[in-house]
Amino acid sequence: MSESEEVRSAIEEQFEGLRGTVRIQRERRLWLSVGYPEFRPVFDFLADRLGFVQLSTITGTDEGSDLGYLYHLARESGTVLTLMTQAAKGEAIASVGDRFPGAVIYERELVDLFGARIAGLPEGPRYPLPDDWPVDRHPLLKDWKPSGEAGGAVEEAGNA
Amino acid sequence: MRRVIIPIGPQHPALKEPESFSVALRGEKIEAIQMRIGYNHRGIEKGCEGRSYVQDVYLVERVCGICSHSHATAFVQAVEEIAGLEVPKRALYIRTIIAELERIHSHLLWLGVAGHEIGFDTLLMYAWRDREQVMDLFALITGNRVNYGMNAIGGVRRDITAEQVPQIKKAIDSLEEETKRYIELAKKEITLVKRLSGVGLLSKVDALALGTVGPTARASGVDRDVRRDDPYAAYGEIPVRVVTDDHCDVYGRTLVRLFELMESYRLVRAAVENLPEGPIAVKAPRKIPPGEAVSRYEAPRGEDVHYVRSKGDERPDRVKIRAPTLANTQSISKMLEDRYLADLPIVVAAIDPCFSCTDRAVVTRRADRQGGERLRWEEVQRHGIDWYKARGIDFSKVVLPW
Amino acid sequence: MSPVQKIVRWARRKSPWILHFNTGACNACDIEIIATLTPRFDLERFGVQLKGTPRHADILVCSGPVTLQIRDRLLRIYDQMPEPKLVVAVGSCATSGGVFRGLYNVEGGIDRVIPVNAYIPGCPASPKAIIDGVAKLLAAWGGAP
Repeated sequence: MSESEEVRSAIEEQFEGLRGTVRIQRERRLWLSVGYPEFRPVFDFLADRLGFVQLSTITGTDEGSDLGYLYHLARESGTVLTLMTQAAKGEAIASVGDRFPGAVIYERELVDLFGARIAGLPEGPRYPLPDDWPVDRHPLLKDWKPSGEAGGAVEEAGNA
Repeated sequence: MRRVIIPIGPQHPALKEPESFSVALRGEKIEAIQMRIGYNHRGIEKGCEGRSYVQDVYLVERVCGICSHSHATAFVQAVEEIAGLEVPKRALYIRTIIAELERIHSHLLWLGVAGHEIGFDTLLMYAWRDREQVMDLFALITGNRVNYGMNAIGGVRRDITAEQVPQIKKAIDSLEEETKRYIELAKKEITLVKRLSGVGLLSKVDALALGTVGPTARASGVDRDVRRDDPYAAYGEIPVRVVTDDHCDVYGRTLVRLFELMESYRLVRAAVENLPEGPIAVKAPRKIPPGEAVSRYEAPRGEDVHYVRSKGDERPDRVKIRAPTLANTQSISKMLEDRYLADLPIVVAAIDPCFSCTDRAVVTRRADRQGGERLRWEEVQRHGIDWYKARGIDFSKVVLPW
Repeated sequence: MSPVQKIVRWARRKSPWILHFNTGACNACDIEIIATLTPRFDLERFGVQLKGTPRHADILVCSGPVTLQIRDRLLRIYDQMPEPKLVVAVGSCATSGGVFRGLYNVEGGIDRVIPVNAYIPGCPASPKAIIDGVAKLLAAWGGAP
């Protein structure tokens, strides 16, 4: 069995409900999607028991009525498993900063750029938007357009 | 060009200067420090959604002008995986050569900047003089000194010719000799050892918890390097010897970069001598099929992560970039805990930050009494140099042994 | 113009003090600007010196497309420079926003915020182009009354 297959087996053994859902895209790249209630047990299992000791970053996505959260976890051997979950816009999710203190800056980014609500974030300055950027405008949401909101030269966005 | 509109003050009351560093001092020691970043935030990820994949190669390349190839390569790798493209071996080797040359120029650049931060400008001049040899190679191979535009989706845009190979080898040989001198300097020059040792301590445990990457992490004994752990480009065929060190301080970070230079010279030689024959690119479709990919790359500063998602058309649906410096900024406050304000410039410089070098504002406040000041970066730098001079560490007295 | 004024102008033209400011650039132009001061290019032989404070600077050399965060700092720095003062926009981003034109956190060039006297294009502008641009600017400045 390849390493990826071993990881998949271990997950399926621990979480019967996830049988058939772990996707191996190529060597060293696994993908798994779970509902938010299942998220933290799976996340902790990967981090604490399967050697996914590195959280490279968290990608936010706009899924319409939901926000998507992709946690890119890595093992020392180089295997990356992206654990994806979703929650309704406006619904709070819990910070993973208790397990990965370095994750806090990635979570702040989700708050600023997507309007994510993340419970348990320590106090601190926003990142990456400027202080005077309106707190309820989130530029990475699909329906947010730059015109008129801020900045200068917006007339040529997306131009060849 | 747009006409200028601006009426400018007397001091405009609404003008504010957000501080980059907010430092609470107790006596001479730093009790707490908060770092504020985001000055370079331009909106690139959103920009990528509005442009084609090809345009995005050029946009992403300019996330950082020092490690531009890192970002461009990480991006095209993700797109190539989604599209199922098999990049020709020759292209992978060329990407690797440019990647290592980039590491070399970046580490030499860093050496000079570090020298400047501690008042050792001679080192800046020597390191940047040597670095010019790499810039010449870039200009020769790629047509530009910086932002080389070597990558295409599916391969590289230019070939390395047989005529260029001897020039590359000659420059590498010369740089290797110079770097040996820098290593001797780092090992033997007491002023340098004293200045950098014990400064900016970051234990291995903390480095791991805070997600530190690159030479900064490796100097704390963290044995991680994407080139070896998650090989890309030609690193599967040209194995990398990962450099680690246990000093856990700025001195360790210096040694790691110097030894990484030596390893990079070896890698460039190996890649150049074993350059496979064949095409330099495969054709890429304009519309990328639906899919997603995570691409990782060991940039000079550490792990660079790109995530790309396609919904099946000409523009990406999502591009996420996590540059290495963002991972490393989290360790700054730990490194400066219980240290002196005089250490701030070199400790920050030692993570090799990829943000502006010239405009960071530092605000101090007294934790033990009233007061505090707003300082410019140059003033904190000056303070650091003078503070250590008063304690017998004076680089104006250092004579280079060669 | 009085002899003193002429001397002052000549001194400024011959030995300008420069303040370098990055307005949110990718750093490529900044590295090339600093490179002009290193041995290969050695701008200092023309008497050009890099100064750390706006209050002593004759020429503000700017890179970057001006991010929203940095905009006010740029204004403040320009404000603090004594007259007469010149501004040089180094690189495509400083000139027009470059590749970042249209992005939401970017003004799109130095002249969106402060007056610019010279534009040095390039991505990045090479040290030779920078030196050439600065020399031309000084010649123009020294010439006119």
